Amino acid sequence: MQLKMWVLSGAALVLWLAPLTALDKKVGWHKSAQGLSLVAAVACAVTAGNIARFLSEQEEIEAIKTRAITADVVDEIAVSAYVSQAQRQQEAEQILNPVEALERALALPDAEVERLEPIAQKQLAEPEQNGSENGESERTERIHQLQALGWGKAKIILEIWGVTKGGSPKYKAAEAEYKRLTEGG
Amino acid sequence: MRAMYLANYFVAGCIASSFLGWVASLHPMAFRAIAFLAAASFILWGLCWLLDFSVSGWLKISVHNLQALLLAGLASIAIGAGVFLCS
Repeated sequence: MQLKMWVLSGAALVLWLAPLTALDKKVGWHKSAQGLSLVAAVACAVTAGNIARFLSEQEEIEAIKTRAITADVVDEIAVSAYVSQAQRQQEAEQILNPVEALERALALPDAEVERLEPIAQKQLAEPEQNGSENGESERTERIHQLQALGWGKAKIILEIWGVTKGGSPKYKAAEAEYKRLTEGG
Repeated sequence: MRAMYLANYFVAGCIASSFLGWVASLHPMAFRAIAFLAAASFILWGLCWLLDFSVSGWLKISVHNLQALLLAGLASIAIGAGVFLCS
C-alpha cells in the first residue's frame, strides 16, 4: 500500500514535469502527449493522496488503540492496588476485632453482650488456622468472655474443648489446660 | 503520513493548474474561458480571505485551517502556472 503510494507520487511528478520540459509545444502530437500526461499525472496524484489519507487514518486508529490499552492497564493496576489495600485493612480489622469485642463484652451490659456474642464467637472461631501460638491466647480470651457471661467451668470446657464432665483423661487434660490458661492469664 | 497526503493533494493542485494552462494554450476561446475562470477564482479567493470568519463557520473548519487552505491553493496555482509558462 505504502509502496503503491510512493510509486504513484513519483509517477505524478514525472508525468507533470517531464513532458512539459522535454516536448515542444509547437509540435501537434507533442502537445497532445503533454495534455494526456497532465491528465494522468492529476489522476496519479489524487490516487496517491487518497491512499496516503487512508494510511494516515489507520495510523491514528492504531494510536488511539494503543492509548486505550495503556489506559486500561494503568486502570487495572490502580484497581488491584486499591483492592489489595482494602483487603489488608479488612484482615487487620479481623485480627483486631475479637479483642475489641472481648473488651466491650467485659465493659458493656448484658443486653449488649448478647448482641455481640455471636459476632465474637464467629471471629474467634475463624483464626484457628493461624497456628498454635494464637490458639492459646484465643482460648484464653474465649474463656474470659464466657466467664464474663456467667458460664461455669464444665460448660466452658464443653464449649471450647468439646468434652463432657467426668473422669475421662480427655476431660482431665482439658481441665488442666483450663486451669493453666485461667491462672496464667 | 498526514504530510504525505497533504503534499500529494498540493501536487495535484499544481498539475491541475498546469493542465488548465495547457487547455488555455489550445485556442483563443479556451484562453478567454480560462482567464474568466481564473478571474472568478481570484475574486472568490479574495472574498474568502476577507470573510474568513464567516466562511470558516460555514465550512465548519477553523480560521487557521481556512487560511492555510487558501494560501496552499494560491501557491499551487502559482507554481502550476509558473511551471507551464516557463517550460
